[in-house]
Amino acid sequence: MNLSRREWFRGLSAAGIAAVAAPAAHAREAKTVHPEDVGMLYDSTRCVGCRACTTRCKEVNGLPLDVVKTDGVAYNAPEDLSASNKSILKLYKNGETEAFVKRQCMHCADPACVSVCMAGALHKTQNGIVAYNKNVCVGCRYCQIACAFDVPKFTWNEPLPLIVKCEMCRHRPEGPACCEACPRGAMTTGTMAGLTEEAHRRIGNDPDKYDPKIYGEHDGGGLHVLYLTSKAVSFENLGLPDVPEQPIPQTSETVQHTLYKGFVAPAALFGLFTFAQYFNERRRQAAEDAQRENKS
Amino acid sequence: MSEHQAERPLGGPIFTPTLFVLLAIIFSGAALVCYRLLFGLGAVSAMNDGYAWGIWKPLNVVTFTGIGAGAYAVGLLTYVFNRWQYHSLVRSAIVVGAMAYTLGGTSVLIDLGRWWNLWVTFYPPLYNLNSVLLEVAVCVMTYTAVLWVELTPPILEQASRWKYEPVRRVAKWGLPWVRKALPFVISVALLLPTMHQSSLGGLYMITPTKLHALWYTPWLSGLFLMSCVTMGFGAVVIVENLTSLNYRRRMDQRLLGRMAPVPAMLVLSFIAIRLIDIAVQGKLPYIWTFDFYSKLFLVEMALFLTPALLMLLRSVRKNRGGLFISGVLLVLAGTVYRFDTYLIAYKPTTGWVYFPSLGELLFSACLASTGIAVYIVMIKVFPILSGVPSRKKPTIVAQA
Repeated sequence: MNLSRREWFRGLSAAGIAAVAAPAAHAREAKTVHPEDVGMLYDSTRCVGCRACTTRCKEVNGLPLDVVKTDGVAYNAPEDLSASNKSILKLYKNGETEAFVKRQCMHCADPACVSVCMAGALHKTQNGIVAYNKNVCVGCRYCQIACAFDVPKFTWNEPLPLIVKCEMCRHRPEGPACCEACPRGAMTTGTMAGLTEEAHRRIGNDPDKYDPKIYGEHDGGGLHVLYLTSKAVSFENLGLPDVPEQPIPQTSETVQHTLYKGFVAPAALFGLFTFAQYFNERRRQAAEDAQRENKS
Repeated sequence: MSEHQAERPLGGPIFTPTLFVLLAIIFSGAALVCYRLLFGLGAVSAMNDGYAWGIWKPLNVVTFTGIGAGAYAVGLLTYVFNRWQYHSLVRSAIVVGAMAYTLGGTSVLIDLGRWWNLWVTFYPPLYNLNSVLLEVAVCVMTYTAVLWVELTPPILEQASRWKYEPVRRVAKWGLPWVRKALPFVISVALLLPTMHQSSLGGLYMITPTKLHALWYTPWLSGLFLMSCVTMGFGAVVIVENLTSLNYRRRMDQRLLGRMAPVPAMLVLSFIAIRLIDIAVQGKLPYIWTFDFYSKLFLVEMALFLTPALLMLLRSVRKNRGGLFISGVLLVLAGTVYRFDTYLIAYKPTTGWVYFPSLGELLFSACLASTGIAVYIVMIKVFPILSGVPSRKKPTIVAQA
């Protein structure tokens, strides 16, 4: 075998490209909301900001109060979602216009946190809840990086820390405590099919009041928490991020599974590297032999 | 083979003042680790729920292993592209790589909140194959072991000259076996960085809404792979220069100069791919908005372009200082690219700020010191560096 260097390089690069490009790219299918899955519907136009929901959330989930003292009086005044708040109520205020927004895990149909979690500590339950299993969590916090809504929180000051996020009260047979606590029916729970229908019904009954969009119906590939708002306050005002309709994990999973499909590309590269070494070694030996012959 | 080409141990005293300084930093870092284990990550770091990964990821893991990718870069050149002349650079690069990866791994272990659950990464039934981080974790742990296996030849070579007979016998018995297996070990050692260095970029493919448009691309994997190779080359140039300045050894400037166009061309392709990708995605206007991110991008591009252009100049390649500075810039460019992707161009949804704490900086310094200390000891004890004069010959030392 006697290849010129140029031929050798050409062969090498062709093999390399073939190894990487061989498995055709098939976009990984989006995971969608199942009509029978559980979900929640938050109607900003109905919420009066009483915070019964977040208080009850703390009770049933055993979360500590965020005590702030004002004039010697202690209040539970949490600022944002945190390791002690799986759910929070925030206020949007612009002049006379006011609206509340409740934030918690969105329970995406196709969650980024579940996609990135190494051993499935964050996982989807049968009925669509994004749940946490601390026993296989290494605390890498990649879920926090991945979540487009910045939902998972971490107990930073614990020697044995945890990821904390809303799990839709999956430990309670009665369902989410926040929905139960709401005196105005602003936060309700039910099946996704039922909630979507109800949301459309409310918009249809009062098209002048409601923004025609249901946030979460398609956003992020579909969320298990749907939001309604009035025409006066946009979803952006409420602080709900603008996420694409394509599920967040689709790109990375498509790229990774294309590169690693059947482990063909890595195996091919391994073969290529081994063959190259064998081939180069033989050439080197031949050159050395020739040199020795010339000398003698 | 001419005398200065074969690798030899440097010899000389192990416990130097430099080593004591490094040890002091290492021990204070170790104390910090104890504190972190007792009081949690929040007690030593400024990381928060918005910036859940601080500087430990981009610096200790991604930059350190980028520097350690010299073993990958020179390995590819020597073994796959048949440039045997660069073989004299391989061993030193592998020692740097072995240390960089060991320390990167250590950093991750300390950074893991629930480190006692790390067993899950050794237990395939639990594997979530969608997780890029799982690929990184398994691959990096394997590669770290492989790098140390790659170092068995120099260690055994030295052991076969040791004064204890049993050690000599074991070393002499083992050496042919190790040499026979080495091509396969090398293949694995070239495959694994291809996988995890690309995945280190791939980690951020999950953040389309959080990573700034100029950095977010489905090609993150490829860009990280290319830039780790250029960083690796830069690191080899730096280490070669530093060891020959500090110790009694000759550096082959011509060899480094001849290698320089490789990273230069790689950097130019990196820039081209990045710009084409930005153009194809229709994100070009982001470059000339001249806001913070656009300026950051331009600085980053300049940092990549400068060493590439310098290294293409014959005068720079011949000039020791010129090539050294190009090497430093290569590493710096890759480092800045990594920090931008992991931290600076990464934006969580609301009002979070992050600036590394003293504790985080100290731990990084502790890891870097460990790497330098072990490297120095290794090159003194084992045949790692080329161009070390034989100690049997009397050397003429000028008397001051």
